[in-house]
Amino acid sequence: METMIEAEGLSKSFRIAKRRPGLLGGLRSVVNPQVRIVKAVQDLSLLIKRGEMIGLVGPNGAGKSTTIKMLTGILQPSSGTVSVAGLSPLRQRKELARRIGVVFGQRSQLWWDLPLIDSLRLLRFLYRVPEEHHTANLDRLRSMLALDEFIDTPVRQLSLGQRMRGDLAAALLHDPELLYLDEPTIGLDVVAKARIREFLLAINAEQGVTVLLTTHDMDDIEMLCPRMLIIDHGRKLYDGTVTDIRTRFGGERILIAELNPAELMTLPHDADGQPIVTELPAGVRQVQAESPRLCLNFERDAIPAHELVAWLGARHRLRDVTFQEPEIEDVIRRIYEEGLLLQEDEASMPA
Amino acid sequence: MLRFYIEVARTAFRRQLIYRWANIAGLITNIVFGIIFSYVMIALFQVRSMAGGYDLEDALRYVWLVQSLVMVVLTFGWYELMLTIRSGEVVSDLSKPCDFYWYWFSREIGRSCYYVFYRALPTYLAGMLLFGFGAPLDWRLWLAFMLSLPVGAMIGIAYRFLFNIAAFWILEARALGTLATVIALVFTGNYVPLPFFPGWLHTIADWLPFSGLMNVPAQIFLGKLTGLPMLLEFLRQSLWLVVLTLIVRAVTAQATRRVVAQGG
Amino acid sequence: MQEISSDLRLYRHLIVMQIRGQMQYKLNIVIDILTYFAVTGLEFVTMLLYFVPFPTMLGWRVGEVAMLAAVTSFSFGIAELFGAGIDVFDETIRRGDFDRVLLRPVEALILVASSEFRLRRLGRMTQGILGFALALVLLHGVDWTPLKLIALLIGIVSGSLIFVSILLLGATMCFWTVQTTELTSSLYYGGREMLSYPITIYHQVLQRFLLFVIPLAFGTFLPTCYLLGRPLPLGLPVWVTFLAPAVGLGFASVAVWVWGFGVRRYQSTGS
Repeated sequence: METMIEAEGLSKSFRIAKRRPGLLGGLRSVVNPQVRIVKAVQDLSLLIKRGEMIGLVGPNGAGKSTTIKMLTGILQPSSGTVSVAGLSPLRQRKELARRIGVVFGQRSQLWWDLPLIDSLRLLRFLYRVPEEHHTANLDRLRSMLALDEFIDTPVRQLSLGQRMRGDLAAALLHDPELLYLDEPTIGLDVVAKARIREFLLAINAEQGVTVLLTTHDMDDIEMLCPRMLIIDHGRKLYDGTVTDIRTRFGGERILIAELNPAELMTLPHDADGQPIVTELPAGVRQVQAESPRLCLNFERDAIPAHELVAWLGARHRLRDVTFQEPEIEDVIRRIYEEGLLLQEDEASMPA
Repeated sequence: MLRFYIEVARTAFRRQLIYRWANIAGLITNIVFGIIFSYVMIALFQVRSMAGGYDLEDALRYVWLVQSLVMVVLTFGWYELMLTIRSGEVVSDLSKPCDFYWYWFSREIGRSCYYVFYRALPTYLAGMLLFGFGAPLDWRLWLAFMLSLPVGAMIGIAYRFLFNIAAFWILEARALGTLATVIALVFTGNYVPLPFFPGWLHTIADWLPFSGLMNVPAQIFLGKLTGLPMLLEFLRQSLWLVVLTLIVRAVTAQATRRVVAQGG
Repeated sequence: MQEISSDLRLYRHLIVMQIRGQMQYKLNIVIDILTYFAVTGLEFVTMLLYFVPFPTMLGWRVGEVAMLAAVTSFSFGIAELFGAGIDVFDETIRRGDFDRVLLRPVEALILVASSEFRLRRLGRMTQGILGFALALVLLHGVDWTPLKLIALLIGIVSGSLIFVSILLLGATMCFWTVQTTELTSSLYYGGREMLSYPITIYHQVLQRFLLFVIPLAFGTFLPTCYLLGRPLPLGLPVWVTFLAPAVGLGFASVAVWVWGFGVRRYQSTGS
């Protein structure tokens, strides 16, 4: 089956009853409830093919968890259709559960008081995996995730990184076709993060597991996900590649020029003793000057890169020049704050 | 400092007001048990009309009084202090500039006051409505009752405090707490009214601190204790309050020393 | 059919895992069991004190009431043991752990029921057995027949089933609000207390309630009447005692059906 997840016009609204104070208020709330409607997800459509690795990004409260809940059968959509692995998540919840794996960053799916190995063995019965198959998977995951050093420790005593590896193993023991990860690298140190990312790339490449990953960590996205979805206020704002977003919205680039230290000294200095480049062209601003380097931010639209290099080179002798792409977080932040994607939508609509 | 404790009590009272529905559910439980024991009494009194100086109406009132007062005096399953010991919060509590015991004491007084109005009164009224017994009209009885009940409540506070603070030394303090609660309830007439106890057991019960929790106030309320015997019981009740409070203070001092030495 | 058997096997595995986890602290378990035995035993023995001033309770002698209380206690103990996960469901919902349950390829009820298994409840079951032995002593024995034994056993099991169903109904309420757990307690613990005495002492309304609404009487009172050769309440014919399994299963089915309703409600409104 080529299509893994197919959703059309998914929406979810919650009716929140307003609590009225006092004893009489409690009674009145039952008889005449005042409700307000919260639209958590509005008209979301997406198509995810088997074997893809996709990042789901959005501010808190954007509707990401609500979407995942609808995809896994925990929540019933208010409207729209969804099919995962050809099944209806709500009606065929148990059947679907057998084919997916889920990892929550903050809450473990393992049994708290038991040693990790017990949890992993127990899952065989939970998912009805044939014994040989289970043992083979377990061995493979043990070596891929280096579980042996703590596999006999009660889950409650594991460090966050260890527990995350345990959770990943638990989610994959039954050979799911699809893996949902909710903030998998949150709170982990750099080494642990790298390990997890390597693992995810491996299972995606070697076993073709489709991966849907929710995260606030942009490095996760950049290193793992060729495709990303941005969700905000319950709507899908963007569905495309990371580089595309950067080019469309990463309005600024950074020029890092290395000068001769003596050369830098010849520049006028400001009150803090920092060298300043004067009379910068429009759309260019100085960000930093730390001998022997000079960093200039420039807007793509204002001046092409080579022109800026030429301009600077005409004034000073340059030893080296490099360019840096904007941080994707800054890009995303700008999109949220300035509603850039919505502006684009409006711009592209017929007048 | 007194203002502080009064404020603590008031806050505790107000905090209970929020758990409106939980209280109603608990009230229903009290009433259900009141009903059960009433029928037990009615069935038993078919065989004789008086026992331990009580007739059926006395017995019904006793049973409903106990159900009304249980939350005021003993608050089933109170482990708040134990939880702060387990979580380590108690260490910061002990270093606060107020007296540790009087702080908890004030909180529980506030809570007991809440239960007087929102549990005891409705429960007893429900009993009166369902089984048609009355309440005493003699103001002296009420006065004596309103002096004895607070003493009972304070004994209850000290007792609960003691088996909670045992968590400092004993790991299984919670199981111990359940046992301690049940023992107290047995010997204060919660299961079988104390007046029905066989002679030798009655004597033992009279000398235990638990009788002062609910049995003594109940007997006063029913008019079974008057004049000199009432005064003596009241004295015994108060004596137990003093003794328990002293024990509590000694144990708290020990605990404080332990915390200071071990640093939590 | 195959699903049910594998679900039961799963349930057994989950329980065994929990027991193993708890057995790591053997001393604690023993203390827990003993303490709970002491608590329930004390309550049981105290009840016997009624019979010092009063020779009978509506014609029932001390040994007979003791037997009734013991059987009820034992039946309740079984329910406490196996229904613990359902009992603490309000905590599960409060912590937001029910989502995890829905992510598993198993009936939610199995996972919830097996989420807790408190060995200390064995303390009450022991009290029930010893209480029963004491009752036999007080009664100078009972005329046993195979039918009486069967009636007692199926009664106990049906009683447990009904007690657990009460817990399940209470747990289902948690899908709407977590504030009313004590309401379930009043029915659950209240039921146990009520059935510790012959239900004939209660108002007619209550008797019918315990027979036809929350049919706990089928669990322990009717079998005990049968065992003691006493007439059944409301003039019911003796063979009604053997309807216990049907009644228990019927009540449980209703509770399970209502639970399913609650789960669907959870799925439509979130937490």
